[in-house]
Amino acid sequence: MLAQHLFNGLMLGVIYALVATGFTLFFGVMDVIKFSHGDVVMLGAFTALATYAAASGAGITHPALLLAFMLAAALGVMALLGALMARVLVLPLRGAPAINVLLITLMAGTAIRESVRLFYPQGSNPKPFPRLLPEGAFEAGGFTLRYDSLILLGLGLAAIAATGLLLERTRLGLAIRAVAQDPETAAVMGIPFRATVLATFALGSALAALAGVVNGLYYSEVNFGVGLLLGAIGFSSAVVGGLGSVWGAVLGAMVFAALQTAGALVVPGGSAYRDVFAFGAVIALMTWRPAGLLAERSAERV
Amino acid sequence: MPVAAWPALAAVAIGAGLAAALLLVHHKAAVLAVLAVGAALLVVAQRTRAGERAAASAAAHPRLVPVAVAACGLGLVMLLREDNFALLMLCTVALQTLAALGLHLQFGYAGVANFAGAAFLGVGAYTAAVLGGHLPSVLVLVTGAGLAALAGLLLALPLLRTRGHYAALITIAFGLLLRTFLEVNDTLGGPQGLKVPGFTLGGLAFNDAIVFDEDTEWSFYVPYAVLALALLGATHVLVRRLERSWIGLALDAVRVDETAAAAFGVNGGAWKIAAFCVGNALCGLAGALLAMVTGFVAPPSFAFGDSLVLVSIVILGGIGNPLGLLPAAFLVVVLPEKLQGLQEYRFLLFAVLVILVLRLRPGGLLPRRLRRWPGLP
Amino acid sequence: MLEVSGLTVRFGGLTALDGLQLRAAAGELLGLIGPNGSGKTTFFNALTGFVPVSGGQVRFDGKDITGAAPRRVAACGIARTFQRLRLLSELSVFDNLMLGLHLDLPHGPWVNLFARRRLAAAVRERAAEARELLAVFSPALAGRLAEPLRALPMIDRRRVEICRALVRAPRLLLLDEPSAGMTPDETAALMDDLHAVKARRPGTAVILIEHDMAVIERVSDRCLVLDYGRRLCEGSFAAVSRDPEVRRAYLGEA
Ligand SMILES: Nc1ncnc2c1ncn2[C@@H]1O[C@H](COP(=O)(O)OP(=O)(O)OP(=O)(O)O)[C@@H](O)[C@H]1O
Ligand SMILES: [Mg+2]
Repeated sequence: MLAQHLFNGLMLGVIYALVATGFTLFFGVMDVIKFSHGDVVMLGAFTALATYAAASGAGITHPALLLAFMLAAALGVMALLGALMARVLVLPLRGAPAINVLLITLMAGTAIRESVRLFYPQGSNPKPFPRLLPEGAFEAGGFTLRYDSLILLGLGLAAIAATGLLLERTRLGLAIRAVAQDPETAAVMGIPFRATVLATFALGSALAALAGVVNGLYYSEVNFGVGLLLGAIGFSSAVVGGLGSVWGAVLGAMVFAALQTAGALVVPGGSAYRDVFAFGAVIALMTWRPAGLLAERSAERV
Repeated sequence: MPVAAWPALAAVAIGAGLAAALLLVHHKAAVLAVLAVGAALLVVAQRTRAGERAAASAAAHPRLVPVAVAACGLGLVMLLREDNFALLMLCTVALQTLAALGLHLQFGYAGVANFAGAAFLGVGAYTAAVLGGHLPSVLVLVTGAGLAALAGLLLALPLLRTRGHYAALITIAFGLLLRTFLEVNDTLGGPQGLKVPGFTLGGLAFNDAIVFDEDTEWSFYVPYAVLALALLGATHVLVRRLERSWIGLALDAVRVDETAAAAFGVNGGAWKIAAFCVGNALCGLAGALLAMVTGFVAPPSFAFGDSLVLVSIVILGGIGNPLGLLPAAFLVVVLPEKLQGLQEYRFLLFAVLVILVLRLRPGGLLPRRLRRWPGLP
Repeated sequence: MLEVSGLTVRFGGLTALDGLQLRAAAGELLGLIGPNGSGKTTFFNALTGFVPVSGGQVRFDGKDITGAAPRRVAACGIARTFQRLRLLSELSVFDNLMLGLHLDLPHGPWVNLFARRRLAAAVRERAAEARELLAVFSPALAGRLAEPLRALPMIDRRRVEICRALVRAPRLLLLDEPSAGMTPDETAALMDDLHAVKARRPGTAVILIEHDMAVIERVSDRCLVLDYGRRLCEGSFAAVSRDPEVRRAYLGEA
């Protein structure tokens, strides 16, 4: 029983971590919150869905092939969209109050959400997400481990590890970290600021798309409104961990998932209150550690 | 040289005229025409210094202008006295503006972004639903405001300890939390919501139509509209006075540079919390009365999207300028109702509008001016 | 009036201020000099409550204000300027000056919201005072009270910042490189202004951080040299500039 909850919590945590990583990357390079990120997650899932419809319409039936197409389309399109949003909404507001970026992306998120609701065929209804992973489960006592969940978990963890490696081992990662440290010095060292920012937004948005697909496959359903909650959760996770740190975001995501799972267990009234409990706990956590769990204390330089 | 009163009076009259026109016309083309005229007037006012003249004239006649505005408001209500739908919209506009004034106090002055405006509106509305009929209506309104302020006070400590994005997240989390709570909590009606008793004052039940004789019957929204406009007017005057006072300066200092302000003894935290509480009280007040007007509350009216609509009103109107809130609220509330095809698309429309404003005209429709101190020319 | 003993500030592993001893008497103008990063600004910040103090004591008028919050320090009559100007650039010149007076202004709802006539009279009175103070620096500036701050040139902004620190007649005024980014002529003008102001407020002690030795020589009564957060030496400018250690550390001589 406990193991079951642990596994479900871990699965949620991985999805949240994929979302939170984007928030923390964007904050790293531009010191901004791109609140439309949750809706990019949702749009990623819908892109995958549309690709599925198109590909199966074209006669492709092999599940692995279908899934590959869906992932390629969702990740590619969202990466482009992420870079586009950075170019149109975030970079031009450099120098404006940081809250303006939060506002403009909040509105962009609303625009994405509403566009899906209005323009995707029957977009306002929850959509079934195709089951493309092997069915079946491994059982022991009361513990059921679905193979598809296991695959999704592995996929998510692999993506997070790959992102970590990319940041630590590649030139792009170096550029991102340099810009996050200090854009001016990075520019002096010949690292192009704009290109790095665009690449970061593309990377974060591709992760968001992956989160959307994983989320869809896990629940076998997507809904146009799911982005708002996922966005708020991803933002919370990144903040709880300490904005700007990828491992902080992963930790924050796990904490949030644990809070939700625990909330569903301990709060009377059950799972209905799990989000109330989780968000309440986030507020309390931030009161306790205002700059996040992993952040060192830092005050503004006077 | 005495400044003439007519530019201010003309501006008030034009504003009232546009409002009346927008509320009265039904045809799509006519609505668009009214909007076009409004936009054109705005451009003219800005290009030709007519706006500045009107502002100077209004400043020079601090007693006359409020009277003129009150007269125009009453005239508007009288004009619409038999039109239920138009009056309901007028009430909604007035109360949304009242709530936006609260947000304006928080964000425009003290710099505290509140993304849970609708949640505080909801606290007021549910107060009206639960207490309505048990307490005198005026007391219900006051309690609604008080409870909203109290709910905000729960966030005082987290808000004081965090800044910027972290603080924004706190209000977002609170808004989501409250909405979910209302939805799953059965004692407050769950997803179905609750009925709200109407406003009564000294035996006058606002929910009864006012019947003079067989042919003359005024809509029961008339007293509501008068009450809502009166509350809005009084609050607006107070907010303006607040801005032009030492309090307004202290709030501005906290927003612009809390560190520099602290060096001169400003208690930034206290000012932020004060502004946050007063702003939430205004939201709660607006919510309580709005619930009485519509007679009904349910969780979907207090969702994150509705909080964003309030934020949109503040940004569209011009951050820091309370005068811009009313036209912005008109646009946001009335436009989707009038252009029926638009109703479905309204959130999309506002989102795009706000994006455009933030990109192209970050000051909003009527950007803020420097403080005009009483006593200084 | 001001007694600092053993003041220490650490940022992680970095000791920015290391057991600083310092005294300033009423009416005195103390020059504080030292190479970049020697802890001068950190001293101001520690004094005014903007960075946490790791050790030592600060007494002002006999009261212990070590580690007090900025608000309390301001209430004691200590005012400062910032190395990077921190003016309220969206607001008017008058608004900026009135921030300096915050602690003396009434903030009750009655006076501010309802007693408008009284408020207007008070505003007129304050404006007259502000104009008078600005006129000490520059008569032209006194006429620009109602303008937005961002319309002013750099030197006038510095003047406004100094006036903001002066309006409440502080007992101790802390000036952090007021001449930064100015031409020599502008600096000379600013220092003349400083003299004029000091003549008007004879009891005010001033601590002036300054890189320009000529300025220090001209205006300071006494100076103190900081190096790596420590007091290197202290005395009249003539004495200090002869000190071999100072010459080595600061004036760059071998
Ligand atoms: N808030 C802070 N956090 C960490 N280190 C700091 C902080 N403030 C200052 N320092 C460090 O403390 C040291 C002293 O800095 P300080 O600003 O006091 O020097 P300064 O003498 O004013 O130099 P300058 O002449 O360049 O203004 C520097 O090494 C600086 O990097
Ligand atoms: Mg310095």
